[in-house]
Amino acid sequence: MQFRDYYEVLGVPRDATADNIKKAFRKLARKYHPDVSKEKDAEAQMKDLNEAYAVLSDTEKRAAYDQLGKGYQPGQDFRPPPDWDAGFEFSGHGYSPNEAAGFSDFFEQIFGQAHARRGSVPAQGEDHHAKVLLELEDAFSGATRQISLRTPKMDTQGRVTLESRTLNVKIPRGIKAGQVIRLAGQGAPGIGGGVPAGDLLLEVKFKPHPRFRVEGRDLFLKLPVAPWEAALGAVVSVDLPGGAVKVRIPQGAQSGRQLRVRGKGIPGEPPGDLMLTIEVMLPPADTPRAREFYEQMAKEFAFDPRQRR
Amino acid sequence: MHDEDILIGTLMEDSWLTLEQMAAACAVEPAWLIRHLEEELIPHAESVAGVWRFSGAALIHAQRMRELERDFDAVPELAALMADLLEELDALRARLRGLDG
Repeated sequence: MQFRDYYEVLGVPRDATADNIKKAFRKLARKYHPDVSKEKDAEAQMKDLNEAYAVLSDTEKRAAYDQLGKGYQPGQDFRPPPDWDAGFEFSGHGYSPNEAAGFSDFFEQIFGQAHARRGSVPAQGEDHHAKVLLELEDAFSGATRQISLRTPKMDTQGRVTLESRTLNVKIPRGIKAGQVIRLAGQGAPGIGGGVPAGDLLLEVKFKPHPRFRVEGRDLFLKLPVAPWEAALGAVVSVDLPGGAVKVRIPQGAQSGRQLRVRGKGIPGEPPGDLMLTIEVMLPPADTPRAREFYEQMAKEFAFDPRQRR
Repeated sequence: MHDEDILIGTLMEDSWLTLEQMAAACAVEPAWLIRHLEEELIPHAESVAGVWRFSGAALIHAQRMRELERDFDAVPELAALMADLLEELDALRARLRGLDG
């Protein structure tokens, strides 16, 4: 395990005041805020910042870290001496289970042990939360997905370590983004005999799809049509993850017009709708014959698309 | 993969988290949530017969508010406003991806 220099992460000297640490953190937290940052590794940077700040903003943890880290260089191999934390008492770190799971093994090794000792014995193991990223196709057909999670576990000495585990989870047909799958008994184990384990709550997200946009169970899609299909009306085939459907294009459809096909979105109770945005595509005028057609149209139609109709 | 290895979960509807579960997922005391609910700062939450239920969207909203309050000492109203804006940003980005696609 490598030693992490939290002062270096926040860019402050070792004797920085609590106020300066707070200022440095805020400046960087703004720069790397994952929702707005343009930096490409913003999310990873934010995790490091949160971890460093969780330690340096807490007087107890900072004192323990300073004592432990004397003489270590960043990246140097690090082993905490046994019982180094005797005499320290840590309160909660104020970070959610999701955030804390992103903290390094270094953090877990030092402060994880302390966590295990605090608090009263809960009646039931804690519920764990995780996000699972699915393909849109999974919602149409249902699927079984392998999901890898890092879970804090307590060993026989009461130390908390991060353990990786893989679960095979059945994804029901018709699942929506934001929905949650509850896996009973897959959360934290109960402490003591006969105490039930907590549950694992999996929040579903979809990977961005190259063709579809999803809102709830509704599917949004651009539908390219030929000018004659738009002008005269037509029945066209649209490929969906659940198979092709036939859609009627109304006569005189214009680009940008939206068609709703009820019940052809993500299946479920009730199923979502398929929302098609018409996009009229022009055939290229790249042969003399094609040019002739366009010239003839120009002559035959008294049509000015810029004139308000 | 054997069939017996496959976990089958219960699918929960959009409103699924209890107050205690929300508090644990956001690393806050239930009192923090109640205070913010009373001020109407957390949307996507509903009270059915006096029992609060929270959707996935409420969870994201509350986690963002909690982070903004913790990281920047933001007052709750400002954190709520910012969480609203980030939600709007998410929706617009999703639409933009749809237009690009």
